[in-house]
Amino acid sequence: MVVNNRLINSNAQHCGLRCGLRGTTLRGATKFGIAGILLMSMILMSSLAMATKYDVVPPSGTHQGEDVEQPIEFPHNIHVKDNGINCMYCHTYARRSKVAGIPPTSKCMGCHKVIATDKPRIQKLTKYWTDKVSPPWKKVHDVPDFVHFTHEKHLKTLVFDREFPVENVKEVCAFCHGEVENMTVAKKVKPLNMGFCVNCHMDNKELGAPGDCWKCHK
Amino acid sequence: MSLDNILNHWSDFRKGSEEGGHHNYEHRWAMAINLDLCNGCNACSIACYSENNIAVVGKERFEKGQAMHWLRIERYWDQPDKVYPEQGASFLPMMCQQCGAATCEPVCPVAATYHTPDGLNAQVYNRCIGSRYCSNNCPFRVRYFNFYSYYESSWPEPMEQQLNPDLTVRDKGVMEKCTFCVQRIRTVKDKAFMEDRKVRDGEMVTACAQACPTSAIVFGDTMDEDSMVSKLWKKHQVERGVYQKTKLAKKNTDLRGYRIFEELNVDPSVMYLERVREDI
Repeated sequence: MVVNNRLINSNAQHCGLRCGLRGTTLRGATKFGIAGILLMSMILMSSLAMATKYDVVPPSGTHQGEDVEQPIEFPHNIHVKDNGINCMYCHTYARRSKVAGIPPTSKCMGCHKVIATDKPRIQKLTKYWTDKVSPPWKKVHDVPDFVHFTHEKHLKTLVFDREFPVENVKEVCAFCHGEVENMTVAKKVKPLNMGFCVNCHMDNKELGAPGDCWKCHK
Repeated sequence: MSLDNILNHWSDFRKGSEEGGHHNYEHRWAMAINLDLCNGCNACSIACYSENNIAVVGKERFEKGQAMHWLRIERYWDQPDKVYPEQGASFLPMMCQQCGAATCEPVCPVAATYHTPDGLNAQVYNRCIGSRYCSNNCPFRVRYFNFYSYYESSWPEPMEQQLNPDLTVRDKGVMEKCTFCVQRIRTVKDKAFMEDRKVRDGEMVTACAQACPTSAIVFGDTMDEDSMVSKLWKKHQVERGVYQKTKLAKKNTDLRGYRIFEELNVDPSVMYLERVREDI
């Protein structure tokens, strides 16, 4: 089945580009091609239908954060946009704890032992690794100490319970972190103040967003 | 939004009390304290200090009545005429009673104290302006005011390392009180939410109940029929809601349950079980 599908899909791509030119000579393939296009559009449709079990009103507000100087100028754009790595691959604690977490150097080295070892940033990283020192990353998104915020509950409500495709999780992360895929080093672009949180909670009351002071204030 | 919240919860209670109690609580945290088991060791008080980042004020300020102990042990003599060993010492742990119709709530000018859907009297430190009306209106005298900033004096280095990160260190000019360890409630509820289940009885234990060597303090949710607390309340025929002449009505001496100042009709969440003495 897998092979067949692949065949159909490749035919579809092939035909989508060329069928119009080749005309009758590839009639058999065209048939397959139409089937393929139908199949693909069905997959697309179903994934769209699957995308949201219910709607969420994203928070609104912008903030002009300062540039943060990190020990290594970490390019989020290369990782997320160019290579399509999921946010939660590195920020793995987001779905099971309060904080999203900065990945340990071992996670970086898992790939960068072999990938792009000639780049100066990776060499700097490797030096941290061999010296057994963790890079002194700076926290960019911080809420005050009197605020109780959990990533896990937000992810459960906005992604897992909503049956939102996990591969698109960056769209949910962007609610509060902005489009990190277009940044190198992360920058604070959302205000993350009380009004920002409360307005979103009021807009999404039906999803069970609490309005009780003591839910967040500690 | 918050004002909305407060007014809703308050009117919710008022509506409910006329019909025999509030009906829309998610949880209704409550305590049962068996005074027969309490030996006045103060472990609960100390546990409370360390759990809730309470400042140690020192002797002089204590004498001025500026102490911050959210949970204090009150000592009474049952037979004050007699000499010490026969004097009949009895102890009573006193903390915020988390009243259903709390007198502290409506007097706050900035709505820093309000009623939560869990049936707790919340105190939002950021909102508090230190008017101290709530403290003056509390019949139990369990609200404490930060007359000073205790950052340096109460936790000199390296003692600041023992502070609990789950709640704030309060600053000068802010009222504070027992929260029924709301940070623990929050954690337990978060955990239950993540596992798609209800909070189980015994999962949530306050610091004082955890530290009590004789298990005199039992904590739980009275909305849960099967919880230990519900059973104790039921067994001693203490009910939520409006004033019942509990003590007078009770002829049966096995029923030892009572709530302090019940006649004030504030609907406290803490039930005490009277101490039993042979010679009385």
